[in-house]
Amino acid sequence: MTFALRTLAFRLLQAAGVALVVGVMSFLMMRAMPGDMAFRIAAARYGYDLASADLAEAVRTELNLDAGPLVLFGQWMADLARLDLGRSMVSGLPVWEEIAHQLGASLQLAAVALGLSLLIGPPLGIYAGLRAGGRFDRALLVAAAALRAVPQFLLGLVLIVVLAVQLRLLPAAGHGDISHLVLPALTLALGLAAASARIARDAMAAFAASPAHAFACTKGLSDGQVLLHHGLRAIAAPLLTYLGLQFVLLAEGVVVVETIFGWPGIGHALIHAVFHRDVPMVQGTALVMGLSFVLLNTLIDLAVRRIDPREVRA
Amino acid sequence: MTLLQAKDITVRTGAERLLDPVSLTLPAGRAVTVLGESGSGKSLLAQAILGTLPRGLVADGELRVGETKLDPARPQGSRALWGRQIAVLPQEPWLALDPLMTGHYQLAEVFDLVAADPRPGRRAKADLAELGLEGAGGKYPWQLSGGMAQRLAFAAARAGGARITVADEPTKGLDSDRRDDVLALLRRGLEGGGLLTITHDLTLAAGLGGEILVMQGGTVVERGPAERVLTAPEHPYTRALIAADPAHWPRPDPMPETAPLLRAEGFTVARDGRSLFAPLDFTLSPGQILAVAGPSGCGKSSLGNALLGLLPHQGRLWRDPALPKLAFQKLWQDPPAAFPARITLAEGLDDLLARHRIDRVRVAPLLDRLKLSPDLLARRPGAVSGGELQRIALLRALLLDPAVLFADEPTSRLDPVTQALTIRLMVEIGRESGMAMVIVSHDHALLEAISDRVIRLTPI
Repeated sequence: MTFALRTLAFRLLQAAGVALVVGVMSFLMMRAMPGDMAFRIAAARYGYDLASADLAEAVRTELNLDAGPLVLFGQWMADLARLDLGRSMVSGLPVWEEIAHQLGASLQLAAVALGLSLLIGPPLGIYAGLRAGGRFDRALLVAAAALRAVPQFLLGLVLIVVLAVQLRLLPAAGHGDISHLVLPALTLALGLAAASARIARDAMAAFAASPAHAFACTKGLSDGQVLLHHGLRAIAAPLLTYLGLQFVLLAEGVVVVETIFGWPGIGHALIHAVFHRDVPMVQGTALVMGLSFVLLNTLIDLAVRRIDPREVRA
Repeated sequence: MTLLQAKDITVRTGAERLLDPVSLTLPAGRAVTVLGESGSGKSLLAQAILGTLPRGLVADGELRVGETKLDPARPQGSRALWGRQIAVLPQEPWLALDPLMTGHYQLAEVFDLVAADPRPGRRAKADLAELGLEGAGGKYPWQLSGGMAQRLAFAAARAGGARITVADEPTKGLDSDRRDDVLALLRRGLEGGGLLTITHDLTLAAGLGGEILVMQGGTVVERGPAERVLTAPEHPYTRALIAADPAHWPRPDPMPETAPLLRAEGFTVARDGRSLFAPLDFTLSPGQILAVAGPSGCGKSSLGNALLGLLPHQGRLWRDPALPKLAFQKLWQDPPAAFPARITLAEGLDDLLARHRIDRVRVAPLLDRLKLSPDLLARRPGAVSGGELQRIALLRALLLDPAVLFADEPTSRLDPVTQALTIRLMVEIGRESGMAMVIVSHDHALLEAISDRVIRLTPI
């Protein structure tokens, strides 16, 4: 119980830290942008052709852009503390509303990608780990290294060219039915699978060489039973821990992949917000991504602790 | 009734034969014990019978388990017997048990999956209770004491219903109390079953009785009933092995108390703010040997290190102020770890001589005294035997004229014959030169045989 409480307390602090950093950075970004902010916001809202000094003035009053920097900073952080992310400078809609809409699409993509990667990576890794040093093990090492070395935007383009353009199996981009999900999810999953295959392989090879494995065999269990009852347990903890780290990769990947495939998720929204200098949206998306990362890692910590309750001593 | 019959078992790697033909029969209710030091081929014999030889080693011969005929050259066939007909006791149970599974499940799964028992949970509970492990079912192996882990592993190994038990070095690294536990467990396995034990432990072999095979260099040099082999050995190697048992060592003359080199009052060592053992009072006079015994983890090594001044202590410790720092020396447990691996022993020794301005002429007589060939020094530490290396470590310490030598399990990694030689030399040199020693060991018989006084640490 104490472990769970300590984890929660630590993660809450971390969440507060994330919010603080995102808030300060967003505010500084807001201030550091060149040109007249009011005018640019007006241009973004109504189009460059329609933007005029009057409209800019209206925006200035609406957003209270004339107050001193300290006052503005105080306001900014106070809003953040109330979880009031304000309105998008582009659409004028509340940031929460926009994010809630996009987050669903992103979570769908991320979950499918993660599930796909777990179907591909760990089984290959386990197979290689059971025959460590064999031909398959070495081939997997090369394949995994190559796959990890390819940047996601390149991998995505290769998949588009091969599967969508040449073979015409799948749509290259868009959002709607399930066929639109396959390419972006696969792009994300291949990178993740390459890494989790290596982790599963190392954990499995270590277990296969351990006295615990030998004893499980001499107790009379078959290879399948040893793997099912002891092997999976042994690799679950390192694999889950690594999954926590992979969320960073996933968040990064979501931004790139959603943009390539036109997937209307939070990464896509982040890029658009950056293009349009829509700082409240940048702040909102960064905050949600950061906090989800903290939340998922908390869950992982607790799950790993359940599988492997040994006290970790420095 | 014969449970297992092995005929002309050999082991080879390529063209080289590692194990000469050995035949043995396991009857029900009578133990068969293979005695020998490491490298004698005794573990190869067990592995050939079990079908667990490392890759690259090939066994040959005839093997019959119950009604089943097996080909040792094709070890895949043995797999089906594991757990069901042959129980294999793991050498180090606390490593062999799955650290991520509670005791109850490790046992119950064997009843479930191997013995196909309809009520595995109930059987596991009953077994745990029978071995005095009622509280261990809900615990993970790393929460158990060494003895409890041993009993749990024993139960799990035999839960598949095997009548034959094979134990390879079951007492390795155990202190005397735990050794008695293992003996009691193995005797249980003997009730109506067959037992093949591989060991270098004479006390265990004597306790098991039955038939003994003595192996040296891959050959059985002597075999016969335990009482006869252990009391009237015929082969010179068997005699050397028995003479090497600390119980048969000649007792050295007691060393009188004189002006002490160090005196401890209310002495203890703390870790994380807690004292490791109850406070001690003792003195150490020149030439005396102080033995420190106690269960593993109770602070034996910490006590010695604190006496040397390597660790902070609690209570009072007086060390003769006339003695220089270098007069307190230490002999480590694992000789190869105490030498730099990539330079020759002579180079290391030269550095020592230069650093402390020691006259080179002292080396030759010491080498002679320690029964070491001067040629050894031209080699690297990896190329000499453990016994020789420990004697070179002793030589290295003796060059500094130590008044107090702390030896931390100095012979626990050595074979019995080598251990006897090394310890005897240490004791003789201590008596000759007046060097006092503090010796830590898990072997009570050894400590009783050589020391002027034994301190038993009681953990708190």
